[in-house]
Amino acid sequence: MKRIESQLNTGSAEFRANVAHNRAIADDLKARQQAARHERPQRDIDRLRAQKKLLVRERIALLLDPGTPFLELSTLAAGEAYDGSVPGAGCVIGIGIVAGREVVINAGDASVKGGAWYPLTIKKTVRALDIAIENRLPVVHLCDSAGGFLPLQADFFADKYAAGRIFRNQCALSKMGVPQVAVVLGHCTAGGAYVPALSDYSVIVRGTGAIFLAGPPLVKAATGEEVTVDALGGADMHTSVSGTADYPAASEEEAIAIARDIVGNFAKAEKTKVQWQTPEPPLHDAEELYGVLPRDIKQGFDMREIIARIVDGSRFHEYQPAYGKTLICGYAHLWGYRIGILANNGVLFNDSALKGAHFIELCNRDRTPLLFLQNITGFMVGREYEQRGITKDGAKMIMAMSNATVPKLTVMCHGSFGAGNYGMSGRAFDSRFLFSWPQSQTAVMGAEQAANVLVDIKIRQLARTAQKLAPEDIAAIREPVLDEYKRKSSAYWSTSEIWDDGILDPADTRNALAMALSAALNAPIEEARYGVFRM
Amino acid sequence: MKNSLSHDTSAWPFKAVLVANRGEIAVRVLRTVQALGLKGIVVFHAADRGTLAVQMADQAIEITGSTPVAAYLDAEQILKAARDSGAGAIHPGYGFLSENAGFACAVAAAGLVFIGPLPEQIELMGDKVRARNFVERAGFPVAPSAIEDDDPTSFNDRARAVGTPLLIKPSAGGGGKGMRIVRDLALLDSEIERARSEGQRYFGDGRLYVERYIENPRHIEVQVLGDGYGSVVHVFERECSVQRRFQKIVEETPSPALTPELRARICETAAGIARSAAYRNAGTVEFIFAQSGEFFFLEMNTRLQVEHPVTEAITGKDLVFEQLRVAAGEPLGYTQADLQTSGHAIELRIYAEDAARGYTPTTGPLLQLRAPEGEGLRWDSGVIEGGEVTAAFDPMIAKLIVHGTDRSEALARADHALRDTVLLGCKTNIGFLRRLITHPAFIAGDVHTGFLDANPQIAAEPDPAPSTLQALLAAASLSTKTMRDGADAIPDLHAALGAWRN
Amino acid sequence: MHHAFEFADNEHGVELSRTPAGYRLHLDETHTIDVRVLAEIDGRITLNIDGRKVDAIIATRGDEVFIHLDGEAYQLRYRHPLERLAAQHQGGAADGIRAPMPGSVITVAVAAGDSVSRGQTLLMMESMKMETTLVAPRDGIVAAVNFAAGQSFDRDALLLSLEPVTA
Repeated sequence: MKRIESQLNTGSAEFRANVAHNRAIADDLKARQQAARHERPQRDIDRLRAQKKLLVRERIALLLDPGTPFLELSTLAAGEAYDGSVPGAGCVIGIGIVAGREVVINAGDASVKGGAWYPLTIKKTVRALDIAIENRLPVVHLCDSAGGFLPLQADFFADKYAAGRIFRNQCALSKMGVPQVAVVLGHCTAGGAYVPALSDYSVIVRGTGAIFLAGPPLVKAATGEEVTVDALGGADMHTSVSGTADYPAASEEEAIAIARDIVGNFAKAEKTKVQWQTPEPPLHDAEELYGVLPRDIKQGFDMREIIARIVDGSRFHEYQPAYGKTLICGYAHLWGYRIGILANNGVLFNDSALKGAHFIELCNRDRTPLLFLQNITGFMVGREYEQRGITKDGAKMIMAMSNATVPKLTVMCHGSFGAGNYGMSGRAFDSRFLFSWPQSQTAVMGAEQAANVLVDIKIRQLARTAQKLAPEDIAAIREPVLDEYKRKSSAYWSTSEIWDDGILDPADTRNALAMALSAALNAPIEEARYGVFRM
Repeated sequence: MKNSLSHDTSAWPFKAVLVANRGEIAVRVLRTVQALGLKGIVVFHAADRGTLAVQMADQAIEITGSTPVAAYLDAEQILKAARDSGAGAIHPGYGFLSENAGFACAVAAAGLVFIGPLPEQIELMGDKVRARNFVERAGFPVAPSAIEDDDPTSFNDRARAVGTPLLIKPSAGGGGKGMRIVRDLALLDSEIERARSEGQRYFGDGRLYVERYIENPRHIEVQVLGDGYGSVVHVFERECSVQRRFQKIVEETPSPALTPELRARICETAAGIARSAAYRNAGTVEFIFAQSGEFFFLEMNTRLQVEHPVTEAITGKDLVFEQLRVAAGEPLGYTQADLQTSGHAIELRIYAEDAARGYTPTTGPLLQLRAPEGEGLRWDSGVIEGGEVTAAFDPMIAKLIVHGTDRSEALARADHALRDTVLLGCKTNIGFLRRLITHPAFIAGDVHTGFLDANPQIAAEPDPAPSTLQALLAAASLSTKTMRDGADAIPDLHAALGAWRN
Repeated sequence: MHHAFEFADNEHGVELSRTPAGYRLHLDETHTIDVRVLAEIDGRITLNIDGRKVDAIIATRGDEVFIHLDGEAYQLRYRHPLERLAAQHQGGAADGIRAPMPGSVITVAVAAGDSVSRGQTLLMMESMKMETTLVAPRDGIVAAVNFAAGQSFDRDALLLSLEPVTA
């Protein structure tokens, strides 16, 4: 496989300007992540310390095998919601190594509103369990939650993907034979009580851990019974009387050590075999990605320069290099794993869509995982293209992509607009993992374009009432519409809403994708079968 | 050690020798017995079944006892074993029955040869007071003393005659209580009164005993050989001053404390004492040696000594062979002038013990045992890899004997050999021995019997250097299955990513 | 730190992870050392520790690790995380009276259930002809007596235990 010949002029003013711009964006991302992870009101920290509790990230550090990576997902979930008062949506999820096994970690963060469940907490938790189901990964739940956030109960209680889905997913995992262990490090009240109860194994800390459907105050209100937390749902009661929990522990450290021992007893699943070769670092430095990405969302760039900074040895076997050139297709290796890459180099035409559909079928037949690198403004529009069947050719690509059974990974590299988002395995198409770069944008159409449409509608409404608008009136209408649109097409909005699995610093992409791919290979690849392709 | 000794034993009254001992000394004796072409028989308790002596003996006979030690003290069983196996002689080694006159008599009564002195010689030297009086009467130096009970009225005068410094001890005492050192005779009377009242208070008995106090004494002993026909030679001295819990740890010859004149004097004194008793067998005359150069008779051991190999190293004499010869009735056949020494030899006793914890004994399996090899080295041991050190016996595992052209070469060889000695599974004093022999005072030969008590830092285990600690933790972690398996379980990709975070 | 070794009366927390070329020793949260195993045969191990070549001879028995390194013999004892953490919270050493050296029991002065006060004789033992009296390290109630007169034991054997102190 030959190396991609980089055309990048790293000495150019353009390159340097891009680096400055994108590095600042990456730094801003790190600062936001740092804040979401660690900045808490002192009184919340003090309260946990007084209870002799560890912070959630200290717990995770104890849980993970030392010297192993942790791929944290959706760090900035709820970042744009609830006035930013629920960092990380009040929980930490990710993929790490425990006792040599890849596991999903689902940990409540009691330093955020006592670990209360907000609607996005539940969405993030459900996503963690979906990841476990899709990739057959064991789950370690670190439970410490005050229960649901009552003022928003209507938004998290009853819907199909609301709180009940957590328990439904736990049952599904158990049925699939994917083990779960819950470590009860705080209270698990009401619905939360089912998390340990539905886990195959549960450990509970004496003194601080408790499981009950209703806490002492609610019990008193309901029946008049006065009972202590320990007697109602403490470690000794549940491990020796009710059998709701399995192992008592005297400390968080011991509880986590027991959980590690339990995970160490899980059968090690045989991973799906795919083509693999000894890994090789990329020839081109990942840091140069900052200089590849343009400063303007509308400006194009060669996706090969991105590929060259992600894949092994910067080597790429390009498929149909001369046909449908706006969609780059080809093979590469990522940390040794052979993958098929589809990357946008412009708007999708008929030939690019057909090429994409064909390439996806090739990869799917050969059990080659797919990586979609999105920078797409959509499929080509206009009479000529409709006549050539751009819609049905796009449908072929969507059909092939949608039904592909090999693991799919997606990275929102820059723009993701219109049906192109779908054709390139957007969130709705069950990519095993979907990550965004911090400057990327996702929307049904570009911001300027959308703002013009919205302003036009407004002007026509006003015209009916015979109002004549001065240019400054139009600008006054246009600006807020544009700002709101931009906010909601930003990566930070996407990730806040959990449309992705987290924002990545571009330089981290290679490692994150490798961990995602490795995790994905815990699930078998099913036989390839498609629906009907419109010919 | 030579593998064969060309000596005509056809006239000897025995063709088979039973070793009534265990461990390294049983091995040591068997080596010479077998090298002479004689049959070597050993008795053993079940606790010693897997030991080297049992493996190498031509015949091994199991004996039993309420404790393992009791078995080796059971004369009846041992004599029966000797009769059953056709042994013509019994070698008692050291310890156990080696200085038991009754046993020596019983052996003779059974028509067997006791490889040792005559019973009456054992009896004479076995009683300290009797031995002391014998030596004094023969005109050899004993430490001046005065016993109040002998004549209470003259006690103070006799005490004064002992000379300073002197030590006043309660007759009924023990453990150092009521003891007083007197350096100025003007204070003698008042100190006697004080000691008397302390004795009364501690023991309800005010009677006293006075002896010359020897400050920082050295322990020097002389190997002697006698044939029972009046021929006695000395085989030079051994210095055994470094002791812990009243047991020797390091012995060497020649003594670094002696001038040629003093050496000749102390060796001749020892030979004279043995000669006075018409001694037969190898024996050791022990002296207490003052820093002033004065020395006094302490006791005489009528057996082979643990530390005999250093003497063998510098003289080329096989002392077990000499014991066998004279017991068989041969005359010594050489004179003092025929004995020459060459170089310097040091014995280091390797004990299963924890020097840093007051030299308390340790036990454990010998998981790895590699004796050092090299020029001038001798390794006397009764244990083998896979064996076990138990609390049943003395905790000595082995003796390392080094021989060099001079003391500094011997010391250098000792340090190398100790470093190369691998003994894992049971804590030993090897590290302690290395600290001891590299101590400046020891290198200077400036030691005394209280040396280790005065220098407790030698026993203390030094904190390992950080790099050593790291190496230990690395080696231990990699050898601990739980940890190694845990690390090996990390998938390749994640091992390569290390502690990466996004 | 999950794992630990007892060595010279200290406990050293330690972790072992893997690198593409070998292993990594974690001495604390921030201090790691790369270790490669160059050879390993018959208890002899040759390591490259942070670029330094180290030869050692190793023997293990149960959790005891014996190491001959640079002419010195060392003994370490592995502490499994579960054992260590469980001990930390159940009263620890003060509850267990362990043998200071190998030996045998001469007499046992107390029985399970007895109240004892600090300094009270619990047991007389003998080792290498030395008698040692073991006394209660604190006031408490005897939970168990594990050896009877005449029985022998190894060093660190749990001879007696006291009921844990409840807060």
